[in-house]
Amino acid sequence: MAKEITLARLQKMVEQSGLKLTDEEVEKLLPGVNRSQNQVLELREVITDSIEPATAFAASRTEKR
Amino acid sequence: MPLTELPHLSIVEAASGLRRKEFSPSELTWACLKRIESIDHKLHSFITVTADLALEQAQKAEQELRAGTDKGPLHGIPIALKDLYATKGIRTTCHSAVLQDWEPDHDAETVTKLHEAGTVLLGKLGMHEFAFGGPSVDAPFPAVRNPWNMAHIPGGSSSGSGAALAAALCFGSLGSDTGGSIRTPSSHCGVVGMKPTYGRVSRYGVVPLSWSLDHAGPMARSVEDCAILLQAIAGYDPKDAASANVPVPDFRSELKNGIKGVRVGVPRINWFNENKGTDPETKTIFDNALKTLESLGAIVVEIDGRPFSIARKANQTILTAEAYAYHEKRFQEAPEKFGSSVRRRMLEGAFLSAADYITALRARTVLNEQIRAYFSAVDIFVTPSAPRPPEAFETMDPNEQNLRPSFTNPFNLTGLPAISLPCGLTKDNLPVGLQIAAPPFEEITVLRVAYTYERATEWHTRRPKL
Repeated sequence: MAKEITLARLQKMVEQSGLKLTDEEVEKLLPGVNRSQNQVLELREVITDSIEPATAFAASRTEKR
Repeated sequence: MPLTELPHLSIVEAASGLRRKEFSPSELTWACLKRIESIDHKLHSFITVTADLALEQAQKAEQELRAGTDKGPLHGIPIALKDLYATKGIRTTCHSAVLQDWEPDHDAETVTKLHEAGTVLLGKLGMHEFAFGGPSVDAPFPAVRNPWNMAHIPGGSSSGSGAALAAALCFGSLGSDTGGSIRTPSSHCGVVGMKPTYGRVSRYGVVPLSWSLDHAGPMARSVEDCAILLQAIAGYDPKDAASANVPVPDFRSELKNGIKGVRVGVPRINWFNENKGTDPETKTIFDNALKTLESLGAIVVEIDGRPFSIARKANQTILTAEAYAYHEKRFQEAPEKFGSSVRRRMLEGAFLSAADYITALRARTVLNEQIRAYFSAVDIFVTPSAPRPPEAFETMDPNEQNLRPSFTNPFNLTGLPAISLPCGLTKDNLPVGLQIAAPPFEEITVLRVAYTYERATEWHTRRPKL
């Protein structure tokens, strides 16, 4: 289980991110932020050292938009 | 046929009637516009109605057809677009105050292709704000309602596409799908919607939610109509970095080949058999659909649903991180312009680290391999499209929705083609959808199975009373 992010810590994270949110908004965000962190922990369970990320970059693409 | 009946035809029927000169593109368009005028003030499926343009395009199609220039089955057919497809000189809002007055200087590639196919553009359709969150109660445009019961949600994020089709306000539409946004409203509104393989249809000019999960695709009232729309929009586009340079087959060529011997994988064990948020009535309707598939010659194979179950977590992590990255500057400058639902959910992405995002991408590699490995034992996957029928606006809880299984997410993560088509109605007369997915670039298989099921049942003929 992830160490739960506290309201005080989330407020600091908000400051560092350059966002301007009210205290009420930060409080509302907290459960979702903790749920996201727990999701990532569960995902760590399915990967091993040899697994590379599924990225879409292809060096061969040369056409421009 | 009275003009008021015309909007209820399928694309196939309308195309045939046009060629038999039973009615004209202008009459089809006029009938749709009249119906929009009389019904849509209750539904709110359209954000912008392009009536003058539509009548002008219809007249042009009429002249072309009369002169013997036939552009195919979409020539003269009125359609409408989810309001995140860029349309040159036509307001494209993403159902948000952020882009309320944006008039793009270009068309999305798919819009160009539909134009070349001779379609008539009726207007732009409502959606969940920026294709995320839920129905927007504080956006500048009202939330779209479900034609089957106005008190219920139409599903999203391509809400307007689902509702407008179910209400017979247009013949076809394009939606976009990052976690189920074509298939869920198709299921909730009793229409057909297809998420093609990642790379099959260009995303150029479609406002992104999550670059690596976004898919553009067709929505219509029948499987064959969906195949016709897909035919028009599929194909390689160098302007889309993820576009696949693969041949485009004739998507209608195998519709009538039947499904004898097709191995249908049902990832029920360790997933939706555990009743974690899946509505019992939906399960019963789904089981009946499986029996129908078996009666048509398919072989049902139960498979372990664990990789599908975990796929949702990777999908959500990637989606939230990419969505926030796209909107970060806007959030820092004017967060108040976003509606409360999308604001809260997208901001979660601000607190995911680069390592968290890469973890999700690594999990994507594993889950993709695990899910695709099943194709040695099965030909397709089948699930309900949504864990429950459309909920009432009043009792809907977006936070609770996150805790339910998502049957659609795994196919965004894996990029596999997947369709939703009607497979039943609840006792409250609300639609339930059946999802069919196949290996990459096997849209033909998805369409064949869907078409065979559709023709063996009557669910696609049911329409809401409005």
